Amino acid sequence: MKNKQKPEIMAPVGSFAALQAAIASGADSVFFGVKQLNMRARSSYNFELDEIQVVADRCHKAKVRSYITLNTLLYEHDMALMKKIITTAKEAGIDEIIVQDMAAIQFAKEIGMPIQASTQLSISNYESVKFYSQFANTIVLAREVDLDMMKVICDRIREEDLRGSSGKPLKIEVFVHGALCIAQSGRCQMSLLTSNTSAQRGACLQECRKKYMIKDEETGNEMSVRGGYVMSPKDLCCLPFLDKIVETGVSVIKIEGRGRSPEYVKTVIKVYREAVDAIHENAFTPAKVNTWLKELEKVYNRGFCSGYYLGKLLPDWSLCSGNKSTEERVYVGRVSHYFPKAQVAELSTDALEIKTGDKLVIMGDNTGVVRTDVTSIKLDDKFVDSSGKQNLVTIPLEKRVRKNDKIYLLRKRQNV
Amino acid sequence: MKPKIVHKRKDCIGCNSCVLLAPQTWQMDTKEGKSRLIGSKEKRGLFVGEIFPIDLEANKKAAKACPMHIIKIENA
Repeated sequence: MKNKQKPEIMAPVGSFAALQAAIASGADSVFFGVKQLNMRARSSYNFELDEIQVVADRCHKAKVRSYITLNTLLYEHDMALMKKIITTAKEAGIDEIIVQDMAAIQFAKEIGMPIQASTQLSISNYESVKFYSQFANTIVLAREVDLDMMKVICDRIREEDLRGSSGKPLKIEVFVHGALCIAQSGRCQMSLLTSNTSAQRGACLQECRKKYMIKDEETGNEMSVRGGYVMSPKDLCCLPFLDKIVETGVSVIKIEGRGRSPEYVKTVIKVYREAVDAIHENAFTPAKVNTWLKELEKVYNRGFCSGYYLGKLLPDWSLCSGNKSTEERVYVGRVSHYFPKAQVAELSTDALEIKTGDKLVIMGDNTGVVRTDVTSIKLDDKFVDSSGKQNLVTIPLEKRVRKNDKIYLLRKRQNV
Repeated sequence: MKPKIVHKRKDCIGCNSCVLLAPQTWQMDTKEGKSRLIGSKEKRGLFVGEIFPIDLEANKKAAKACPMHIIKIENA
């Protein structure tokens, strides 16, 4: 028997290149931030007001839903900008706005802009879901609920035919992949206390990821606990039990990571796309899970854990400062030209030479992410094994790339 | 030479710290939700203005408190 409904896969988008990568990899929807009113105001590219229409148009063309995240706490002086962003989003045909502040919820309702109740609201029970359904079409559950709670909420929505503000059946959304907060998701004040940089204003300094020592003030002796990484959780990865998540009846599964590279978006979305399709076809097997996990390990990760979803005791510590990806990208240079008829790309190897047999990843705003193996290199019309540095060389490349796209060498991480 | 302040306003997230710590130099722009260096002029995307030496200490605190590190003081 086939599982009846496929959940929507929502991709994080922190650049035009990531947007292209998300669309090309099979995302059903994307979310992105505009200007400073979002939880990644500090750490990712945020789109300008006049770029909202561009993103919306690209998504409409690809039949992908688009959401703007406007989920910081709002101060008095933010009202005009908040209204401007929501109004512009509505005019551009953005599908929903992800919000936490009541001022934004209220304004969106006034102008008839559908919203998603952000995970920042820590919604963890059906009554809460019911309350926010007056305003929202989609409810993002707290990351701290477990699978049983998720299922109870989804079941009751169906039993009571709970509808969202637009009159359609209410959708439940959960995070399935990406960073976890050491505090209750979205409620951490550590960055604000130590450095006046409020996570609630999108400026989290990731204090939990740093190394700390315990010091005996009397003697001055210092102790290192867990290598100093005393509160850095591993990343959430629901892939091994994604079938269980889908069985709860959630409508949307969301990938975290607007600060991540387009290549990360491509890899993670592709894996989850394949996994969701496999679940639908009753072909979700442990062997496939293993293959997919190896793919996920290639891109940025702090090690994987199941978060709070399986009721397992946390913490599950990362024990490192950050990235544990098995592959790394090294900057090579830029594309200087592409010859579509000949299917040849001309590359400028400004920073690093390339050799035949190398794996390259090329990224750009309109290109998204293109991976290729270097099968041959031509320099001054002669075949060479190595490009040398600061040369103009050509390589055969079927997929179209564009002038000024960035080229990276993909290699095994050298200092794990 | 008067102390000079350079503000990379584009990256301001509107935390209001500078306005709180040095209200004689900063005000909140409620249209854009970003702080504004009073009396400054824009030069290639940066806002530059002079302050009186008496306001230097308050502005040093504001620069230190800025979560985005976009307030730079020169000639101090």
